[in-house]
Amino acid sequence: MKYILGNQESVMPKPLLELICPAGSLPALKAAVDHGADGVYLGLKDNTNARNFSGLNFDAKALAEGVRYAHAKNCKVLMALNTYPQPTTLKRWQQAVDTAATAGLDAIILADPGLMAYAMKTHPQLRLHLSVQGSATNYEAINFYHEHFGIQRAVVPRVLSLPQVENVVQHTHVEIELFGFGGLCVMVEGRCLLSSYACGDSPNTFGACSPGHAVRWQQTPKGMETRLNGVLIDRYADHEKAGYPTLCKGRFEVQGETYYALEEPTSLNTLEMLPEMHRIGIAAIKIEGRQRSPAYVAQVTQVWRAAIDAVKRNPAAFKPQAAWLAQLDKVSEGSMHTLGAYYRPWK
Amino acid sequence: MTSPIKLALGPLLYYWPRDKVLSFYEQAAAWAVDTVYLGETVCSRRHELRLDDWLYLAEMLTAAGKEVVLSTQTLIESESDLKALRKVVDNGPFRVEANEFGAVRLLFEAGMAFVAGPALNVYNPDTLALLASWGAVRWVPPVEMPRTMLAAMPIPAGMETEVFAYGRLPLAFSSRCFTARHYNLQKDSCQFRCIDHPEGLLMNTREGEGFLTINGTQTQSGKVHTLALRLDELVGMPVTGLRLSPQAQHMAEVVATFRDALDGVLPTAQVAARLQPFLPALACDGYWLGKAGLAYTHNM
Amino acid sequence: MIAFPSSLAALISRLPAYPPSLTFATAFNLTVWKSLQDLEWEALQDRRFCVAVRDTGIKLWFSMATSGLKAETAGQADVTFTATLLDFTRLALRLEDPDTLFFNRRLLIEGDTDLGLRVKNMLDGVEFETLLESFPSVLGRLVNQVRKQGMA
Repeated sequence: MKYILGNQESVMPKPLLELICPAGSLPALKAAVDHGADGVYLGLKDNTNARNFSGLNFDAKALAEGVRYAHAKNCKVLMALNTYPQPTTLKRWQQAVDTAATAGLDAIILADPGLMAYAMKTHPQLRLHLSVQGSATNYEAINFYHEHFGIQRAVVPRVLSLPQVENVVQHTHVEIELFGFGGLCVMVEGRCLLSSYACGDSPNTFGACSPGHAVRWQQTPKGMETRLNGVLIDRYADHEKAGYPTLCKGRFEVQGETYYALEEPTSLNTLEMLPEMHRIGIAAIKIEGRQRSPAYVAQVTQVWRAAIDAVKRNPAAFKPQAAWLAQLDKVSEGSMHTLGAYYRPWK
Repeated sequence: MTSPIKLALGPLLYYWPRDKVLSFYEQAAAWAVDTVYLGETVCSRRHELRLDDWLYLAEMLTAAGKEVVLSTQTLIESESDLKALRKVVDNGPFRVEANEFGAVRLLFEAGMAFVAGPALNVYNPDTLALLASWGAVRWVPPVEMPRTMLAAMPIPAGMETEVFAYGRLPLAFSSRCFTARHYNLQKDSCQFRCIDHPEGLLMNTREGEGFLTINGTQTQSGKVHTLALRLDELVGMPVTGLRLSPQAQHMAEVVATFRDALDGVLPTAQVAARLQPFLPALACDGYWLGKAGLAYTHNM
Repeated sequence: MIAFPSSLAALISRLPAYPPSLTFATAFNLTVWKSLQDLEWEALQDRRFCVAVRDTGIKLWFSMATSGLKAETAGQADVTFTATLLDFTRLALRLEDPDTLFFNRRLLIEGDTDLGLRVKNMLDGVEFETLLESFPSVLGRLVNQVRKQGMA
């Protein structure tokens, strides 16, 4: 089976720079819809998605109301089912796929090939997206998922430079979605077990990195300490900004030097790259943050809606407004931002 | 009694000088390993050995009676990475280990039987069955998979199961090079500083606990995962092989310890004492027991 | 700047002089409990919370009962939230994102983090308008007015 790009495959016009926003709760979903999201993504209240935090996410009632609300305002609803099903609990993931199909979701976002096969066979009309947790960083991998499971969109891990992303776009029919803003995974998503090494639970199987049950914050005479299952991630002096309790944003000692050995507490912000993403033909921009509050979702959605509208009106004249950047920095981890791997020197 | 469980030397995860790599594998030819995985899986910038060098080693080890598998890179980012991948797939006689789905696609299209590496994230029987249908004849479960989960996996007929049983755990992969970052260098001008650290750079917590190991773009455990003391638990499990990950010193002794322990030559009670001098760091086995990976239930 | 803290102070001054925890719990149960009682409170049964108001030095202790928030005597808590009165007020009015406050060291959650996140996420899951409806209309209008001021 050879994958040939050309006219023989009838291609629907691809969407361009859709704004996909996070919804950890019904109020967050409504905030995203009201502030101009083209799509929202959400998950169920269990480990079938990678934001499995206590009290977060949707039950059947909230899901029905969310879909009704979003569809009434012409906003798509996507469900993340992006963790890895396991032998004795496989049914939970399959039932979640059924739930999504029944509730009228516009697409489901999957990482596991076995689950993709189930979705394709059981609900052939259901649109499938490849989750960032599927770790597909090249077009051979993305096209493989397309050929075997009809994946129509792929969310690419936050490790490629923009020219590398462009090369992917040029070699696939699959729509490419990029992370535009929010928490920054330094590691290839789906390929990071730092959390389970320290505390037993990883995003792949448990659906959370540094789950709450293993995190302890404590104000001590030396500063505020963050621990994961007893492992000291960092200690902050009173004046220092704090980061999420993830291992990749901690301070460690290497050869006598104590520093952020993997990454600073910082957020990804690609606002200034929007004209490039527009030119390359990126189908959608994803905003990270299902664990965040409705206030965050409202503020970030508002800024990105305005920015995407501006770049679509006139890409050449686009310039991120200072007010946008200030607003985004305000809600950012460590109150700073980075272009991440999209900008090669970051690597 | 000789155990039917095979021993495999996993791909070399560190960057060693060419001479050291060549002599390492010349010695390995005499070790009690059944399978040797060759090739660079961590960083495309590493170039002490070219594909031709790996193929030379492959032939040498084949002649010594080893099964040779060429491992592919875990993170394929660029067109040149893909070009290198295609060359490995098209190598001719040697079996290939796929460590991401771009390689799976190429191997499937070429109709080649392959090894499904530990980074493919096979956590359930449906996905394992699919991999079998695409040509996988051996799989390596994710290193975090507990024994109970593995025991609950129906294994397709003819599929071999190789478990990561010794070495610092490959925990995470990035496009960022953390060794270059440590030296305040950019990855594109990294001066290949990882060659100075034959077993990576230890990352301690601020309380002095050896926690992780920086190995270029790869992050490993600080402790050495070992199932050497748990080989009895493999009885009745579908495990056909054990993967031992290369370390800079005493690898021959590690291999011999595992072989003797598997075959019952070395009594279980003596395994710990025999392995202890060869461990380059504290041991751990938490993943196998469904706990934090760094946990260890034996005292060595 | 929002005017709510002074309104709140005025309101509290007109209530009987109970210990602050009981005063707050009573006010809570008479107002927003109506719109919160259907949440999954089971996971919070028998757990003790402490709300520590950094700038006033006041600490409130609670647990959850089937009838609503229950004032507890001072002592150990499973989880303690610490912030200023203004920041707590802005959080309650949904004007502030808790994670942002955390990054800026203005909100501290000590003790059982999972319990803290659960409470935070459960409350975030209730729409502000729903909460507002459970206030007596005059008070509800006042709260909404304060929130609008805070947004401006």
